[in-house]
Amino acid sequence: MIEIKNLSIDLGDFFLRNINLTIGDREYFVILGPTGAGKTVLIECVAGLHRIKQGEIWIDGNNATRLAPEERSIGYVPQDYVLFPFLNVADNIAFGLKQAKYSKTDTGEKVKTLADLMGISHLLHRDTRSLSGGEKQRVALARALALSPKVLLLDEPLSSLDLQTSKYLRLELRRVHKELGVTTIHITHNQVEAEEVADRIGILNMGSLEQVGKPEKVFFYPESKIVADFTGAPNILDCDYCRTVGQGLTEVSCGGLRIILPHDGDRVQRIALFPRDIYISNAQPPGPQVNRFKGTITNIKSFGATVRLEVKVGENTLQAEMPHDIFEDMNLTVGKEVFLILKLRRIRVFEDKDSR
Amino acid sequence: MFKVLKGVGGERAFNGATISALALLVLFFVGIVVSLFTYTDWNTFMSALLSEEILFAIKLTVATATVATIVSILIAIPVAYAISQTEFPGKDIVDSMLDLPIVISPIALGACLLVFFNTPVGAGVDDNIMKFVFAVPGIILAQITVISALAIRLLKSTFDSIDPRYEQVGRTLGCSKPEAFLKVTLPLAKDGLIAAGILTWARAVGEFGATVTLAGATAMKTETLPIAIFLSLASADVEKAIAVIFVLVIIAVVALIAIRKITGRRYPI
Repeated sequence: MIEIKNLSIDLGDFFLRNINLTIGDREYFVILGPTGAGKTVLIECVAGLHRIKQGEIWIDGNNATRLAPEERSIGYVPQDYVLFPFLNVADNIAFGLKQAKYSKTDTGEKVKTLADLMGISHLLHRDTRSLSGGEKQRVALARALALSPKVLLLDEPLSSLDLQTSKYLRLELRRVHKELGVTTIHITHNQVEAEEVADRIGILNMGSLEQVGKPEKVFFYPESKIVADFTGAPNILDCDYCRTVGQGLTEVSCGGLRIILPHDGDRVQRIALFPRDIYISNAQPPGPQVNRFKGTITNIKSFGATVRLEVKVGENTLQAEMPHDIFEDMNLTVGKEVFLILKLRRIRVFEDKDSR
Repeated sequence: MFKVLKGVGGERAFNGATISALALLVLFFVGIVVSLFTYTDWNTFMSALLSEEILFAIKLTVATATVATIVSILIAIPVAYAISQTEFPGKDIVDSMLDLPIVISPIALGACLLVFFNTPVGAGVDDNIMKFVFAVPGIILAQITVISALAIRLLKSTFDSIDPRYEQVGRTLGCSKPEAFLKVTLPLAKDGLIAAGILTWARAVGEFGATVTLAGATAMKTETLPIAIFLSLASADVEKAIAVIFVLVIIAVVALIAIRKITGRRYPI
C-alpha cells in the first residue's frame, strides 16, 4: 500500500500542491493528466528521486519519505525506458539481481522466468539499441520487476509506441499485473489508455489531484469542468427510467428523451455520448425515428477546424460537434430548428452494479 | 554588393570562397611538413632519431605524459562530474576559473609554479617531500597544471551528455549513489573517458612552456621531446630537430585518428 500525505514540492516548472492519495495493495492506479501537470514529479517522489520537504510518503506501512531510492523496493520504468546501452538484454534484466548478490544460477533462472513472462526469451543476447520500442518496453519492465518490488512505477510506458503496439501492450500490462499482483502506478496523458488499464484513476492538473475514482465513475461523474474537459467533455444524461427491450437493447428515458441503447441490464443510471457522435441535419432524416430528436440551436462556438453547437432538446441541452466546412454549408444559426441523430453504438452506459 | 551574390551564382561563389580557404590552409600545413623533407636525408634523419639523446627524450616524454594524464583524468572525473551534475552556489565562477589554465600562456603557469616553490611552503615541499624544481617530477607537475583543465572540459561535456535518468534507474535497482556512478555512469562515459585521455596525453606530450620554466632544459635530464627541439635548434642541429618534429607529428596523427574512431561509435544517449 502507498500513502501520500500532504505532499507539496516545487521544482520551478513543475510542482505538486498538497497531494493526498492512498493506493491499495495490488491496485493498478493510473495518474491521468495533461503535459506539465506534475505527473512525472509525483512518481519520482514515490521513487525517492526528489528531496521532500513537505508531506510524507508511506510504503507498506513504513515511512519512506527520507529513504534513498535503493531502500524503497520499487521498480521504475522511466519514459523511453532508459535501458543500459553497454549491457545486452539479459544483463539489463540481471542488473538488479547482480547488485543484490544473487548467485549466478539464481540470476540465470530469474532472468529466464521474466523473459518468458514478457515474451522476450528470443532477445536475451541482443544489443538493446537494436530493439523496437515495444521490445524495449518489455525489457525495461522485466528489469524493473526482477527484484520483485513492492511498487511498480510506469512513466508514460506506452506513449512512444505506435497505436497497434500500444493497444497490445495495454493488455500485456494488465496480464502481468494480474499474474504478479504488484501495486502499480502508471502515468499517462491518454484517457482511453487510462480507462483500459486502471483499477482507479487520479486526474492531476496543475499539480493538484482533481478527482480520484474508478474509471467509469470519473467519466460519468466528473467533479469539475477540468475533469470533464479532460475526458473529452461528453454529454452526460441522467436516466429517470430504464427497461430492457430484448435482443441486447435497453430503453432509457433522460429528461423526456427516449433513447435505445445496445446494452443488457435495467439499472442504467447515466449515459454519455461525445459531441462528435451526434449528427446534425436540417431536414428530418428518413427511416425509423429511433434516437433522433428535434431541437433548437442555442449557442454556436468555433474551435478552428470544428464547430460546437449547443442544441436544446426537451429539458436537455446537448453538445454536438461538426467540421467547420460542413457547418458553413448547412447555414446554421442560433434559434434554428435542427434534427439530431445519436450514434447508437457510441453511447456509453453507467450502471450502478453495487445497488443490485 | 550582396545583391550581386543572389541566386545560384552567389551560392557557387560562396562555396568557392570557403573551399578555397580550406584548400589554402591544408596546402600551408602540407607545405611546411614537406619542407622538412627537403632539409634532410634518410640516413642523417635515422641516425639523429636513434641517437641516445632522442631515445631518452622519447622515453621521458612518454613516461611523464602518461603519468600526468592518469593523474589529470583521476582528478578531472570527480571535478567534471560535480560541475556537470550538481548545483552549488558560485558554480559559474568556479566553472570559469577552471578554464583559466586553457587560456593562460603555459609559460606563465610555469612561472607561477616556480614562484610557488620559492615561497616557504613551496620550498618546504621541494626540499623535504619531493624535488620538483629542475627535476623530472617538475615536468609531470607542469604537464598536469596545463592539461587538467582540458581533461575537465572534455569530461564535463561527456557527463553533460549522459541523461541523469540512467543513474536514477540504477538507484532503483539497488545501487547506492557511488555504485550507480561506478556501474552506470562510468561505463556510459567510457568512450568519452578514452577520448579525453588520448587528447590530454597528446597535449602533455607537446607541453613546452610550463615544463621548461619549472623543470628547466637540461639535456639527458629534463629533456622531453619539445625541449629536445628547443635544445637542437639552440645548438643549430637542425637534423635532430627535424627528427623530433616527425616523432611529434606521428604521435599527433595517431592520437587524432584514434579519437575519430572512438567518437564515431559513441552511444546515442
